[in-house]
Amino acid sequence: MTLDPTLSQIRDGLRPFRRRLWLRRVVRDGTFSLAAVMGLELALALAARIVPLEWGRVAAAAIPLLGALALLVDAVRVRPTLGETALALDGEQGLRDRVSSALEIALRSPDLVEAPLAAEDAPTAEGTATEDAATYARFVRLQRRDALSTLRAADRRAFRPRLQRRPAAVTVVLALLLVPALLLPNPQSDVLARRENQRAAAERQAEKLEKAAERLAEGRTAPDPRLDLSAELKKLARELRERPEDLDAQLARLGSLEDALRARIDPANEQRAAALSSLARSVSRLSSGQDSNPGGDPKKANEDLARLGEKIDGMTKAEREALAADLAGLESTARQAGAEAQAALRNASQALGRGDAAGAKDALGRLGDALARGARNVELNRDLARTANDLQDARRQLADAGKPANQGQGQGQGQGQGQGQGQGQGQGQGQGQGQGQGQGQGQGQGQGQGQGQGQGQGQGQGQGSLGGGGSNARFLGSGSSSGGFGGPTAGNKQFSTGDIDKVLADFGRLGKPGDPSYVAGTGGDGQTQQGSGTGQGTPSDAFVPYTGVFQDFYDFAITSLERSTVPLGVKDYVRDYFSSLNP
Amino acid sequence: MTEQAIEPAATRLSPEEFADRARAIEREVGRVIVGQHALVRQTLIVMLANGHALLEGVPGLGKTLLVRTMAEVLDCAFNRIQFTPDLMPADIVGTNILIEEEGGRQFRFQPGPIFANLVLADEINRATPKTQSALLEAMQEQQVSVARQRYKLDPPFFVLATQNPLEMEGTYPLPEAQLDRFLFKLWVPFPAEEDLIAIMDRTTGAETATVEHVASGADLVAMQRLARSVPIAPHVTAYAVSLLSATHPDNERAPGLVREYVRYGGSPRGAQALVLAGKIGALMDGRYNVAIDDVREVALPALRHRVIRNFEGEAEGITPDAIIRSVLDAVPPPRVD
Repeated sequence: MTLDPTLSQIRDGLRPFRRRLWLRRVVRDGTFSLAAVMGLELALALAARIVPLEWGRVAAAAIPLLGALALLVDAVRVRPTLGETALALDGEQGLRDRVSSALEIALRSPDLVEAPLAAEDAPTAEGTATEDAATYARFVRLQRRDALSTLRAADRRAFRPRLQRRPAAVTVVLALLLVPALLLPNPQSDVLARRENQRAAAERQAEKLEKAAERLAEGRTAPDPRLDLSAELKKLARELRERPEDLDAQLARLGSLEDALRARIDPANEQRAAALSSLARSVSRLSSGQDSNPGGDPKKANEDLARLGEKIDGMTKAEREALAADLAGLESTARQAGAEAQAALRNASQALGRGDAAGAKDALGRLGDALARGARNVELNRDLARTANDLQDARRQLADAGKPANQGQGQGQGQGQGQGQGQGQGQGQGQGQGQGQGQGQGQGQGQGQGQGQGQGQGQGQGQGSLGGGGSNARFLGSGSSSGGFGGPTAGNKQFSTGDIDKVLADFGRLGKPGDPSYVAGTGGDGQTQQGSGTGQGTPSDAFVPYTGVFQDFYDFAITSLERSTVPLGVKDYVRDYFSSLNP
Repeated sequence: MTEQAIEPAATRLSPEEFADRARAIEREVGRVIVGQHALVRQTLIVMLANGHALLEGVPGLGKTLLVRTMAEVLDCAFNRIQFTPDLMPADIVGTNILIEEEGGRQFRFQPGPIFANLVLADEINRATPKTQSALLEAMQEQQVSVARQRYKLDPPFFVLATQNPLEMEGTYPLPEAQLDRFLFKLWVPFPAEEDLIAIMDRTTGAETATVEHVASGADLVAMQRLARSVPIAPHVTAYAVSLLSATHPDNERAPGLVREYVRYGGSPRGAQALVLAGKIGALMDGRYNVAIDDVREVALPALRHRVIRNFEGEAEGITPDAIIRSVLDAVPPPRVD
């Protein structure tokens, strides 16, 4: 089919306008798309300030990409047809539907080709259908020529891309709102960082627990309780990996297991171990006559006891009595090593005294067995204690990981009176004002190590982490010290007990229930400053050796904890505190 | 029943000649009718569309003069019928009278005043419905039937009826079926002051404005034929149909005013009027295609008498023009951005 040349020219003439119309549509939809992207970004930024969104960064990056993708798809979709272009051109340039009519009517008369004007003017029979058809065809041709001439005269700059006012204004407003939303510090960032730390810490602790479990189970056979403990540790490690964010529950589980372990640990284990070593060393010396078992190996002692029993038959009465006396001399050591060892030792001594060689041999054999069992118990207790310590360490690490990244602010006020000398180390910032007997005023900041002596009253105000003062065991923080014990003490630092007995402090300042609360000072990053102050005070009877009062304070604190409804974490913190001070 | 056909003379016109003739007619009528350009143009459109017009306006605005001038300019047979309550149908269409011829008595049809090219039905609402309905067949079929005999009316045939909206006492409003036969209902506005001054000058002086014949009835028929040949784009026809549909209260595009105050919307004749008048408007403007604006320009006269208001609409004085304007607002021209 031959296309009317005029129609072809109209179509060709419309193509540049179609490209411009397409561009206008893309710009228009791009404005909408940009506004939508801005809106979503703003909504995301605001949401990320309210709730911690771990996928926030991914979403923030994905939104523009999705917007661009949507625009790309839309650009393909909105590509105008020639008919649409004709309609748009007619509307934009006021062409009174000339171009669109020519195109649309061409669809109804596609086979109508351009005829010479002379042919159009040829006479036809009037009032006939042929005449009507000829008139119609002439009109169609006239329309096409009119459309073409109109198209040629049309402004080539038609369909200039223009921004939609409303979406453009919305975009600008959203962008202005988005800037502060993105630039201002986001409190949820700390939460996210803490969660990340928690996960990493949980993974680390899980690995440690698994190693501890493997260590416990190594070479053990049922019914060794360490196998059960190993299984329990592996279970804990698995839960840590599966639910690292459930910090409270994990801490509770770890604490529960630790408590159970500590309840099983013999508090006098090391004393018993020392006694067992001493006893083993002594019985070996009795057997060999020399210090043949300096390490106090119970197996060696067992062998030596067996040899000693074999010698009994060949001993004179005097030698037996001397041996009985020597064995009797070990009774106090044996008592510390255990009742079984003590009984066996006593039986051996008595049998020797009676001249009962067989009884003595038997008793010495039982003593050897008691030494071996005692050694195994000591080893078991040590494993339990080590595992409990591992659990405690894991709890501390997990709790530290859950600590807010940003330092908080705190204010504290305290009153104290005392005289003492102390040494402390801490990190933080603090401001304090003190008044002593006489006059004195000081201000300190940062990490300080100081020594002070005096008596005075002071008020302190400081900034510190939430953990300062140990008010919350979940957020363990470090405290600060200013001066000696007159200032705030560090809550969670590792305390050195080197010269602990030299420390004299007024422990009464720690207060009792009902006293004004004491909040430790500053934690966090600060400048290091050393300060020392000397005051003049009046000696009082309050100066007591540290080791002399520790147990009283410990008992008082533990009793108070058990009587009150205190969070588990705080209980742990108090226990940690006293365990770090334990002389 | 037999027919007596009167064949019209016809000439072939070009679109340019059409526009020239139309402008000449408007110009010549304008020599007598001061101002009222839109009214003259719309009346001419009605005539070129082979339709009928109902002119409404207060007395003294030149309705009758306009029709008379049109007849003079077009060189057409003109008859005026003054409608009164006692006017009978036979007074319009004619009647058979008994005459003695060749020694015998027989009936012979005596044509009434309807037998003219241009009939002015003055104050049509004063006649009884029976008499008004006598016009129905003539307007629609361009023929009259008397005593089982059909008589074709010579083309061109136009009825230009007038009615006075003020004096409603003793009048018979036209039934909807008859209103629908009118292509346009034209509102004759009160002239502007400067037009009034010109009217005073022309009508109170010694000289009387005269007009010349610038077209014949045959020319009009040829123009009518040419106008119908104008191709119209489907989207323009669709727009005309959308406009008409929106006058119906149950149409989804109908504006609130239509939904609330219209009982019945326009008939399909309304859309025909829009399209045909649009074609003529385009040709008169020298274009070969019908634009949507051509359709919108004739929407008021083509639809105002076809929209039947409900009781609330009439009680609250909602005019048909306000309703049509709301329809035009509700159905904007299709825009492609």
